[in-house]
Amino acid sequence: MLINSFNLFISIVLATCLVILQETMSNIFWLISVDMPVSLGIFLNTYFNNLYAMNLSGAIPLIALIAIGFLIAYFVTKIILIWVKVSKSYAYAFAGAAAILAIVLLMPFAFYNLDILAGGRSVLGKTILTFFGLLSGYYFGKKLEKQEMA
Amino acid sequence: MIRKIYIFLLAFISLFIHSKEQNYSYETIAENLSHPWGIAVIDENDLLFTELSGQLRLVEDGLLKPEPIKGVPEVLFAGQGGLSGIILDPDFNLNKKIYIAFSSPDKGKSTNTLEVISAKLSADSLEEVKTIFKASPSRRTAAHYGARMAFLDDGTLLVTSGDGFNYRERAQYLDNHYGKIIRINTDGSIPDDNPFLNKENAKPEIWSYGHRNLQGITVINGIVYENEHGPMGGDELNIAEPSKNYGWPAITYGKDYSGATISPFTEKEGMEQPIKYWVPSIAPSGMAFYDGNLFPEWKGSLLVSALVPGDVRRLTLNGSKVTEEEILFSDLGRIRDVATTPDGTIILATDGPNGKLIRVVTK
Repeated sequence: MLINSFNLFISIVLATCLVILQETMSNIFWLISVDMPVSLGIFLNTYFNNLYAMNLSGAIPLIALIAIGFLIAYFVTKIILIWVKVSKSYAYAFAGAAAILAIVLLMPFAFYNLDILAGGRSVLGKTILTFFGLLSGYYFGKKLEKQEMA
Repeated sequence: MIRKIYIFLLAFISLFIHSKEQNYSYETIAENLSHPWGIAVIDENDLLFTELSGQLRLVEDGLLKPEPIKGVPEVLFAGQGGLSGIILDPDFNLNKKIYIAFSSPDKGKSTNTLEVISAKLSADSLEEVKTIFKASPSRRTAAHYGARMAFLDDGTLLVTSGDGFNYRERAQYLDNHYGKIIRINTDGSIPDDNPFLNKENAKPEIWSYGHRNLQGITVINGIVYENEHGPMGGDELNIAEPSKNYGWPAITYGKDYSGATISPFTEKEGMEQPIKYWVPSIAPSGMAFYDGNLFPEWKGSLLVSALVPGDVRRLTLNGSKVTEEEILFSDLGRIRDVATTPDGTIILATDGPNGKLIRVVTK
């Protein structure tokens, strides 16, 4: 139980860090495209600032939002896995992807159709974010499988 | 002893604040208004104003006419969209022409855009309604329209066009109307000295670019002042000039609502700096120049209405610098627009579904 909670926490933190990485990179890449003098130092500084600000000073703490999404998705997956026999790593990967995609797609409904996660405005952005959700879910599922084997 | 001095000081300060408040009082012109947005003063007792939900209203001899003016085009009343900016023609007394900016739904599509019409005001309706500008391309969002207007001394019309929120990067490109100040003639044609008229792939109506959501614009002695909402922080007051780039979103003093850094840069060569910026945001809405005699100590000030927390900022200007800022009318809530009348009173529109039109007079 304790190990599962720890793995769940790591999965949420991983997703949060990756989503913030995508948000940072989408802004930074555009700034480079308009000849702004972006250096590696500026990129790293921006990323670490975003890690703090998007969790502690934004409109919604991102990690809390992702935690809610993952908890719901993982809970549903756990129930489904009682009847459906599929690899846990794939099932939770799908759950993680679905959770992030749902957050990106549903957030505009709460904010007058506006994309609060700017990195998720384009189809490419949504795809990358969903992939990061998939990775985080896969990590969680893989850890569960390892536990069961041990 | 120290406590006594402290109490004395507090009493003295409160007396000072109180004496400043006694300068003016409020008179309610109209109430229970549906999101009053833009004000156009005709004379001391007559004015037109828009309600975001789509009504154009007339105050005549100081009294609100019960029926809205007919003939207003269909508007998209959603999010921040609706019937928005209004301005009288410089020759209004002769030709009765007015100009209205609003969010207009694209027929049969889920998109909309900023549109500007000219029309002639008759007794209780608009006549000769003509579209003189439509921002391109259309948008899916109902936010950041800009939709304020001002006349330059040469009679051309400036229209503020916001970045549409989701399209902020396009404010840096000249092939669209997002995040721009537009300059057109009153018949919708393009002035032949517009800065990007002959530039390839540029929209010829563009006068300046790199703006976010411009909610106030006024021209004083040929100088164009405009204010715009920043994101979280970074609201700006700019002196706008033709062909200039105001930097959004490549440079900004604000952060995204998610908390993310939009840009780590606040300045760059070739991009203009604001003459004043606000962090945290005040959400500047309307803007007017006070040139009246009723409040002589305010003469020559720029009045910027603000939605957060809700007040009017009186800015003292010295050339291109803001030397002083005073907070006025902070007991009325969110203020959507501010205007002045020829006799020196100030008209305020409070924001929301139960908005008011308020006249500020001397006590």
